[in-house]
Amino acid sequence: MHTGTNASSRWFSYIGLGVGVLLLLCSVQMFINIQQLLKEGSIRKDGFDFVSITKNITNETMGQPEKNLFHADEIEAVKKQPFIAGVSPLLANDFRVQLSAGSVLPFSTDMFLEALDNDFIDTLPPNFAWKEGDQQIPIILSSDFFEIYNIFAPGQGLPQLSKETAMGIPVQITCYGRDNAFTFSGRIVAFSDRVNSVLVPKNFLQWANKTFSHKERQDASRLFLKLKDVNDPQLVRYLDAQDYVISRDKTLLGRNKIVLQGIFSGLGIFGLLVVILALMLFSFYLQLVIARSRQNLELLLTLGYSPRWLGKNVSNQFIPVYIFIVLTALLCTQVMQWAFHHFVMFNRPELSSFINWTVVLLAAALVLMAIVTNARLVKKLLYRLG
Amino acid sequence: MTLEIQNLLPVYFEEERKSTSEIWGKERSFSNGDLVNIVAPSGTGKTSLIHFLYKMRESYSGTVLYDDKPLQQFSREETAALRKDHVSIILQDMRLFEEQTILENLEIKRQLSPYHPQERIIEMARRLGVDHRLNALAKNCSYGEQQRSVIIRALLQPFDVLLMDEPFSHLDNANSKKATELILEETAHRKALVIFAELEKAGSFPATHLYHL
Repeated sequence: MHTGTNASSRWFSYIGLGVGVLLLLCSVQMFINIQQLLKEGSIRKDGFDFVSITKNITNETMGQPEKNLFHADEIEAVKKQPFIAGVSPLLANDFRVQLSAGSVLPFSTDMFLEALDNDFIDTLPPNFAWKEGDQQIPIILSSDFFEIYNIFAPGQGLPQLSKETAMGIPVQITCYGRDNAFTFSGRIVAFSDRVNSVLVPKNFLQWANKTFSHKERQDASRLFLKLKDVNDPQLVRYLDAQDYVISRDKTLLGRNKIVLQGIFSGLGIFGLLVVILALMLFSFYLQLVIARSRQNLELLLTLGYSPRWLGKNVSNQFIPVYIFIVLTALLCTQVMQWAFHHFVMFNRPELSSFINWTVVLLAAALVLMAIVTNARLVKKLLYRLG
Repeated sequence: MTLEIQNLLPVYFEEERKSTSEIWGKERSFSNGDLVNIVAPSGTGKTSLIHFLYKMRESYSGTVLYDDKPLQQFSREETAALRKDHVSIILQDMRLFEEQTILENLEIKRQLSPYHPQERIIEMARRLGVDHRLNALAKNCSYGEQQRSVIIRALLQPFDVLLMDEPFSHLDNANSKKATELILEETAHRKALVIFAELEKAGSFPATHLYHL
């Protein structure tokens, strides 16, 4: 075989293949890095993300509660989305509620109460329960709300409180109906980092709404969602399409992820194109090699050498080259990943300094692809020789 | 192995050829041990016939059958197997790897399907008087030397059929005789069929069948 001839086209195709494979492998690795990085950064329980959504209140819908509430059919539609693992409407009070600290602290304020399915609550003590006739109402308070209290307390002449103390203070919850009022004794039993609300047991609020407002409200102003991944681009697109708003935009990372994934998908596709181009260039080179060796190959076939055997022999010459190219690209990807983790991400624990196994698998698949296409081409060319 | 031809005619020959030829357009059947001498003046399709029988060209009408299987139905791999173990050929235009030595040329053939040990090459080369040229590049050898090498090459493999297209065209009478003897010896050893196409009837070839093309 005159493989030594036309070395430049051979080297170009080798380099092209190397660059293409490197681009492809790096893109896939970065894609995986983004996935791993953006999985973190939100409050998770049992591997799920929890967020609450509201409808976007605009100048047009202001003052029209029916347009700003989630109706039963809309809740059902949200439930059906594959990326949403669970939905719980936040049930709100439909009557006036006043909270005071009784004789302990000179503090009283109008409040709101909300209720949520228990499995959506991150900190759920066993005493968070109520049955009809109970005077005591357990409360789960948002940590954020508690922090706000401690900020304004000194200005109001109120003492700042630790969480432990706050949990020891009995509060009075007064519910006002149209013609009646009733005071319960409340106690903070837990603080929640996840739910920005004042939570009471659901059955209490259902009972209270019936008792004090005589209406049975079905609609909710807030929905609490249980998600597999808050940064799922599908979720972001869905919420945008429905004009729903997420509390404290936890999808910000998800939005960045869409852009970043777009960039790396583009790069990956570009890499794949370069790989294909390089393989094409290589096939031209191979055709040239076979055309130059045509006489010798024809003579071998005339002597009785089998085209399959000859093809294997010709193709096998290139297998070590392919393996070398892809291994080099894989090594470069590994160096890049290490450098990225070490110098750019400062060894963040979510990432690994080593390349992902899928990248190794992809590299193996690329070697296989190169070998198979090469062998097929050689066989075709040899069969054409006759 | 049997070799049959049925109504064979190159597509570039007119139909009338069939009436004057003892091969074209006829049905002929040969089997192991037959020594067939086909006498054909220039331009009567000698090389065409040998090429058809070796599946090097398929520009013909009619059928060529090996053991009742039409040659046209042989796949590439089957053809390779046929050439490797059953049908050998001495081509008029020799076809050697010019950049390789005579010995390398012979080894390329021998190693494909070894019928003889390597020593037999030297022995045969000595009998035909080319042993001193075994290490010379093929391109530097005379036609006579090349032709004798090609004869040896054809005899290095197992075969049932030996096709010869003017195998002695570059040899003098003495060398032709030596080569014929060697060929007959080797074919007898294999009980092979020989198809020997020549311009004139070869006196030293004990043909069992004689045809005019």
